[in-house]
Amino acid sequence: MTEIPVIYFLWASAALFATGFTIMVLKRNAIFILMGIELMLNAANLNLIAFSRQDDAQQGLMMGIFVLVVGVCEMAIALSIIIQVYRQFQHIEVGKFESHN
Amino acid sequence: MTPILLSFLALVILTCGSGLAMLFTRNILHAALAMFMCMLGLAGLYVIAYADVMAVSHLMIYVGGVLILILFGIMLTTQQSRETNGKNHLWVEQRSFIWSAAVGLSIFIALIYVFSGMDWQLHVVGNDQSKLRDVGVALLTKYAFPFELVGVYLLIALVGATYIAKRND
Repeated sequence: MTEIPVIYFLWASAALFATGFTIMVLKRNAIFILMGIELMLNAANLNLIAFSRQDDAQQGLMMGIFVLVVGVCEMAIALSIIIQVYRQFQHIEVGKFESHN
Repeated sequence: MTPILLSFLALVILTCGSGLAMLFTRNILHAALAMFMCMLGLAGLYVIAYADVMAVSHLMIYVGGVLILILFGIMLTTQQSRETNGKNHLWVEQRSFIWSAAVGLSIFIALIYVFSGMDWQLHVVGNDQSKLRDVGVALLTKYAFPFELVGVYLLIALVGATYIAKRND
């Protein structure tokens, strides 16, 4: 069985990371920015998994599982903050927040 | 062109193509759909990297959990927008495309440059057995403390998210 070289995984994750970063700086909707951050997190995770193939102890795989949980926590907290921000300002357009008092 | 390389290419095209679709669309609901396709492709990539447990848990958590959470977030924060073209009101504002694309492209080129400067001829421990048993044993022996810690962390984060999102009036 032929193996995929690890550099291919690195290229794919580089493309995914750059896409996520571009989404993060391009969009003004807070949820959209969050989706870009999630894409970057997954790109880093793909690297961990790809390197874990070279490891008998599979430390990258375990690290990836913990990263998954941390990503879920980040998502839950961030979305609840966004909902609270929406209650305060009636919109979630980053850069258009103005203080009421 | 072996079949595994072909499937790898197809999955990479699915993943990066949906990422680019997320980038180019201005409808946030279409972006959520593209993110779903992206997560499917990523799970396939994990399978090719011999991490079947990771693929399944990734699918369960991201498609089943995070994406639903994002959809709820979109639904709860939809505004009655200015553009009423009869279809939907989910268009999002953007910054200047040129500068963002320039920054993203330069990050991509820098990453490719850094990755290409290294000799990655590493030894692949190619066992195509399922990793489920290894992961389960490792989680309860070697990684028992991080496992418990991350569980408590998840509990704290979810309780905190519920508390933050509650209506305080």
